[in-house]
Amino acid sequence: MHFFELLVELLLMPILAFVIGLAMVLMMRRIGARIQRRVGPPVLQPIYDIIKLYSKETQISHGLMHEIGIIMAVGGYIAAETLLPVPGLDGLADKGGAVTLAYMLMIPALGMALGVGQCANPNGSIGISRALTAMLAYDIPFILVIFGVSYVYGTTNLAEMITIQQQQGVASWGIVQMPLLALTALLILPAIMGKHPFEIYVAPAEIATGPMVEMSGKFMGGLFVMQCFQLYTAGVIFTTLFLGGGLYWITFLPKIFLVVAIPMSVAYLFPRYRTEDVLRLMWKWPMLLGLIGLAVVMK
Amino acid sequence: MNELDKIPVRQEISVAQGGAKRTNPLANVFDELVRFCQSRSMFMLHYCTGCGAIELPPAMTSRFDMERLGIQPMVTPRQADILLITGYVSVKTLKRIILTYEQMPAPKYVIGICSCTVNGGMYWQSYATAKVLREYIPVDIYIAGCMPRPEAVISGLRDLMGDIKSGRADNWKRYFQNYDHYLGNQQQLFGEDWQTPTDIIAEAEHYGLMTDQTLGEHTALLQKHQQPLEALEFSLGEKREKIQGEER
Repeated sequence: MHFFELLVELLLMPILAFVIGLAMVLMMRRIGARIQRRVGPPVLQPIYDIIKLYSKETQISHGLMHEIGIIMAVGGYIAAETLLPVPGLDGLADKGGAVTLAYMLMIPALGMALGVGQCANPNGSIGISRALTAMLAYDIPFILVIFGVSYVYGTTNLAEMITIQQQQGVASWGIVQMPLLALTALLILPAIMGKHPFEIYVAPAEIATGPMVEMSGKFMGGLFVMQCFQLYTAGVIFTTLFLGGGLYWITFLPKIFLVVAIPMSVAYLFPRYRTEDVLRLMWKWPMLLGLIGLAVVMK
Repeated sequence: MNELDKIPVRQEISVAQGGAKRTNPLANVFDELVRFCQSRSMFMLHYCTGCGAIELPPAMTSRFDMERLGIQPMVTPRQADILLITGYVSVKTLKRIILTYEQMPAPKYVIGICSCTVNGGMYWQSYATAKVLREYIPVDIYIAGCMPRPEAVISGLRDLMGDIKSGRADNWKRYFQNYDHYLGNQQQLFGEDWQTPTDIIAEAEHYGLMTDQTLGEHTALLQKHQQPLEALEFSLGEKREKIQGEER
């Protein structure tokens, strides 16, 4: 009985993540449109895009690694979703924990690197080297945040963190207990989601969307699906660590949408940083804030 | 009778029928849904020729906002569905257009904007301009005008959406089915040794779009000198080495 419950949860969690992710992509595009004083895409636009991409008649593949790379990119996020506790569904959360999750979040970028490498397009190679450098830049503050939060709650188990925050009320929420670490996480959130101003690895006018340059049809569709997971994951991690997670979907959903909306509203107002500036910025301010925050919580 | 009757009219190419092999299992089941989604989500290639391109920024930005119809710009031919030819096509540009067109994944649509793509427009007497675009690649829809306003561009795109929804917009198959015709016209302009990186004949075979019009005397000429495509050597160039040498 327990086995089947777990199986259902493992199937349900990625599907829920995908559906919520679609709504987040729509929200992102609508926010961008509103800032530019446009109407924006219709409600079902993300679904139209994905169905259209998968229904292309000619699929241009560049070899086996190209296909495996995309599967790794999407699969890494699907694995990450099963480690993220959401209301009613714990999945593998109590067995994995925050450290495993941090590892899982690196797999998509590595899968992309493999797939793009097979395409042998110079623009793609430049793009993916920038993407991996950006990952290096935001991962160190991210690990600092996870370390600090785990120290405060005394556990790396995400489900337990939620329980602690839910039982002791708003005063025990991460954002009240460790505001500096929450600020650090908020600063690196656009980089985790791959959005402005840390979007230089895409740079459409310069290197023709970088890693995506040779992706067409189902490969591009795979990346669109990945983007849904990416936004959802970033929102849920921040909510779990700092905003007390949620016991019910009705309190949980507004929180994750709010978390994703903040960087999105800022994103469309800024140009991009160069790769070396991303590295300099990330290793200076978020890291400084993270270290001070760590010192404060450890006393 | 007036003068117009004396101008020789070009013969329409015959549309040879050939059943396309459906590579996508979903397409057979949800044909209508797929066509609807294809019509509501069109990525257009960020590639502009001539002067009509100036009408696209207003069509894309806040005044007319193409995104509410699901149309957004994409920067590589691999991701794009529509190729907009926005103005006169010089012989040099036409080479790039054909390279780009062949790299796009099907179903793909070509829109000729401005009079120049219809019949050469004001460049009718120019020696360096390819006059009639549809002789070189199949065109799905023309938007005439010099230049058409953004309203006309959007109305043309809506017509294309209607065509896709009803399944009429399958001109991309023509390029495979009548490749000999298009290649012949291309060879007339570019010379006998014209060759593109994409192997259209092999693709036509793979997707089951071969007809008796696909191969002919022009493709025979192509196959005589066709060389397999090899990857270029990737290097950072002499300039970089020179800088490094000076540093040392």
